[in-house]
Order: sequence, then C-alpha cells, then structure tokens
Amino acid sequence: MTHGAHTNRTISAQGIARVEGEGSLRVEVRDGRVSDVALDIFEPPRYFEAMLVGRHFLEAPDITARICGICPVAYQMSACAAMEDACSVQVSEQVRALRRLLYCGEWIQSHALHIYLLHAPDFLGCADAVEMAERDPSIVERGLDIKRVGNLIMETVGGRAVHPVNVRVGGFYRAPDPDAIASLADPLRRARDLALATVQWVSGFEFPDLDASYRFVALRDEGRYPIDRGRPSSSDGLDLDAGQFADVVVEEHVARSTALHARLEGRDHYLTGPLARYALNSSVLPPLALEAARAAGLSAVCTNPFRSIIVRAVELVFACDEALGLVEAYEPPNPPAQLIVARAGVGTGVTEAPRGVLLHQYEIDDRGLIVRARIVPPTSQNLLTMEDDLRRVVEGGAALDEHDLQWRCEQSVRNHDPCISCAAHFLDLTVVHS
Amino acid sequence: MVSTEATVLVAGIGSEYRHDDGVGAVVAAAVALATTSTRDVGPLGEPLDLLGRCNDADLVVVIDATRSGATPGTVQVIELDLTAGDDTITRGPSRESSSHGIGLTGVVRLARAVGQAPRRLVVVGVEGERFDVGEGLSQSVAAAVPEAVSRVVELIREVDACA
Repeated sequence: MTHGAHTNRTISAQGIARVEGEGSLRVEVRDGRVSDVALDIFEPPRYFEAMLVGRHFLEAPDITARICGICPVAYQMSACAAMEDACSVQVSEQVRALRRLLYCGEWIQSHALHIYLLHAPDFLGCADAVEMAERDPSIVERGLDIKRVGNLIMETVGGRAVHPVNVRVGGFYRAPDPDAIASLADPLRRARDLALATVQWVSGFEFPDLDASYRFVALRDEGRYPIDRGRPSSSDGLDLDAGQFADVVVEEHVARSTALHARLEGRDHYLTGPLARYALNSSVLPPLALEAARAAGLSAVCTNPFRSIIVRAVELVFACDEALGLVEAYEPPNPPAQLIVARAGVGTGVTEAPRGVLLHQYEIDDRGLIVRARIVPPTSQNLLTMEDDLRRVVEGGAALDEHDLQWRCEQSVRNHDPCISCAAHFLDLTVVHS
Repeated sequence: MVSTEATVLVAGIGSEYRHDDGVGAVVAAAVALATTSTRDVGPLGEPLDLLGRCNDADLVVVIDATRSGATPGTVQVIELDLTAGDDTITRGPSRESSSHGIGLTGVVRLARAVGQAPRRLVVVGVEGERFDVGEGLSQSVAAAVPEAVSRVVELIREVDACA
C-alpha cells in the first residue's frame, strides 16, 4: 500500500509476491526525491554457516543444498568446488561434463519458473501466473513443459528432481546409465524449440525505460558460457581466482536492513546474474542462442533491467542447447568419484547459480571437520544494486499513480530474481500491503 | 513424497531447517515406510513442485504445517473439492502468494487452469508451534506425527478399497 501525495510518499510491501522466499521493500519519497530505499530479505545461509561448523567436509554439498529448493545444484556445485580446492583435487573431465549437464537442468527449471510463473505476469498486467493461465493456459503449459525437461535432467543425473542426492565431493555416487542419458535428447530438442519461442514471446513485451550503468560481475570460463566454473571477472577489469574474489567481496550490515549487503572492496556495489553473465560472455554464446538474442533486439550488453527476462530466455535456449551437446557426448565417469583425503586448509568455490555467482569458502582441519564456513549467495551481492534500481524507478515514476508505482517497484525487484529460500511454507502465508 | 503404484501421491511440503515446517516431510517419510508400493523421492520445498506430478492422480495427499491458531499438534484433514468454483480453492487473496511465489491454493488453481489437476486432493495439516530457523520438531508436533501418518494411511486405504 502506498500513501501520501506524490511528492511525499512511502511505498511498502511486506512479503513481495513472486519472489523466491521472504522479503519486503520500503521506499520513502520526500519532496519528490527518494530519501530512503530498504529491500529487506531474510537470509538463511547465515544459519547454515554456523550449523556447518564441526560437520564433516563431505556433508557440505548435501547440507547446503537444503538452503534453496530452487537452486540446490548450485549449492552442491559450489560446495564441491570449494572442498576440492581445499584438498587440491582436480576432478575428471567426465565428472565436470556430468556436473555441467546437471547444472543445465537446474538452469532450465529455474529460468522457466521465473520467466513464466513469476516475471511474465508483470508484463501482461496479470496479478499472478494463475490469472495468466486462466486467460491463456497454453502459455503456462509451454513454461511447464520446459520446466519438466529441467526436472527430468535433475532426476536422471541427480537421482531426484528436488534436492538431488547423487552429488558428492569428487564426483557422483553413481554414473547414470548411458541409455538413460540418451533418452534426454528428444525432450531437450523439444525444450530448445520451446525456449526459442519463449525468446520471441518475451521480446514482444513492453519494457519500461531504465538505463543503468551497472558494474557487472560474472565468471568467465575459457571461451565457454560460464556455468560450473570460471574466473570471477568484472566489467571494470577485475580478473580473479576464486580465493582472490572471496577476499574482495565485503559483506556488511546496513542500519535499514537485517540482510548483509555485499560490495567489492574499493569498488562499491555490483550486479551478478543473467545480465552480468550475458554482458561479460555474450561473445561466447553458441550460434543458436546468439542468433536468438540478436533477433530479440539484444546487443552485446543489456543495461535495462526490465529486459533481463529476454536475457533469461536466451540463457534458456543456451542451457537446452548445451545440455543436448553434453547428452550426445556423454561418457560415464569411471570411477564416478575420486576418493578425497581431507587435509587442513581453506578452499573456495564459485559457480554460476541461475541468479548469479554463488561463492562458498570453507576452512577444514586435518580430520576433515569444518572450522569455518562462508556462503555468499547472489541475492546478497545484488541487494545494493536492486535498491539503486528502485531509487531510479521511483524517481522516474513520478507520473505513475500509487498502484502502478508499487507494481513497478515489485517488478523491478523481480528483474533480478532474488532468492531467499529455505523460507517456511505456512498455509496461511499471504501478501500484506500496509 | 511417496507414491503408490496406483494413482496416489503423497507429498510433504516444507523445510526441515525451519523446525515445525518440516513436519510434512517427516510424515511423508513415515507413510512410505508404513505402506507398500511407495517410493520416497524427497520432500518438496514448495507447492509448485506438485505441478506436473499430480496429473491424472486419483488422490493427492499434501502434508504441511499449519498456523491456524489451533493447539500445536492438532491434525486437520481438509478435503478440497476440485470441482470448478469451489470456495475452498478459489477463496484467498487475488494475488496468490507464499514465500515461494505461489501457494497451495494457487498451485491447485493453476493445475486446474492447465488441465493438470488431480481428481481428489486432501490436505493433512499439523498445527505448528515454531517456524524459526533451526532443526527438530517441537514436542507437541512430534507427538502428533503418528496420528497424521495414520490419517494419511487411512486415505490411501480408502482409495485402494475403491480401486
């Protein structure tokens, strides 16, 4: 609910609908200028960091996977990468390829969910996906068809679609049967076609004008679009290894929020996620995804956050195409996992979760027990930038009425697909606008 | 979540790292042990995960923590009539919402809109006491687990008897 005249108003939304988790935003306008913006988000990783201390290092992937129901693979992958770094272990190329395939499944699942069920309703004037489905079920069916193929990959490689159980430090518990992997090819071809149709569909939306000069941070992976590995890089020249990146990411409390806000030491806030990945890596997209991006009107860098839905759709094409290539080239890792002996040290892992760079860093002792854990999720890295977007949206939205401005603010938050998972699911939980 | 070879699907929704929010998964896992021909495929983090899993099911049982003001540990069985226009499904805020975007009633409405609704959906709710971050069920909720399990098993037997 918003109140006050246009020159003095407060926009407050408790429990932002269609954001993955729990969050609230509050924007205060005084004399036509934004005096305060606070995006407050509950962050479960803090609890998990404390809980991990004293646990065995091999448990980290499974425990941290429970932080998020939408991106458990991201947590497993960053945890594995960090533990393997701590123990100076390199996994085989077959393990890497299978991890990338599993991760593609999560990207497909997560991007389809966000595009079709959480973000598209904003552009179509629907209160939610239910209203959108009641108007035209075929659109939501297409989104669900794509998401189902992501689930199928997760089930085939990860053992189950929700919270996969086949991932371990060093590789996998069991290498999937080649026939099972081959059976993913046809569904992936269909999903890739549907993803191309998705790009075309979302590129026809009307986008509010907003041009932000972001500091982008994403991984770069030796000529490949980054998913499971890469060097943290920025649009203003950073090129670091994972450990160096952990050193320059500074997280701090700000008075207006309970969430930690990340910034780069000496460089201030930044943006991670699809817009950043695309800006730093669009030149290495495979031809099909690149052509889709060009046809949708995207240039090499996209700085309008409302158009992030197009970038996400392009990444959907990429993930389907990439997964298909990995399926066709599948060689079961043998052995499925490398045995790893714990040794005292610090390890850092970074991977690209669907919504941005996910950093894990652990210190373990010589018995393999975790001494210190640090998890920096993409959402906490993006908080300051999301607040900056809100400031621009409100300042540029003076002509909007209260309802439309609040809608635009919530849409602005959803542009970056914030994830605040591990949230409880009460049957009576509702959005309250006050 | 467990499913019989017939067309029954039992889903526990919630997070075991939010204390009593994890009761759904605990009950679902116990149901898997108490019945034959069931398969545990893990707890569902969000109601949306039901979509695509309940098409053409004769019965879907969703087990979740509730916060209705009842005494903690109270087990409630809520039958949702899935015929169009039913008040138990359509009532609620115009903007369907949960902490994960779309709540259970929204998911049911969504499933119905795209022709993927089950024939029958029953919610077994266990009133929770605490939902803050941390592991383990409250004593009152843990004590209610056997009753919730037996209510779910009864529902499955009813369907088996009719099959």
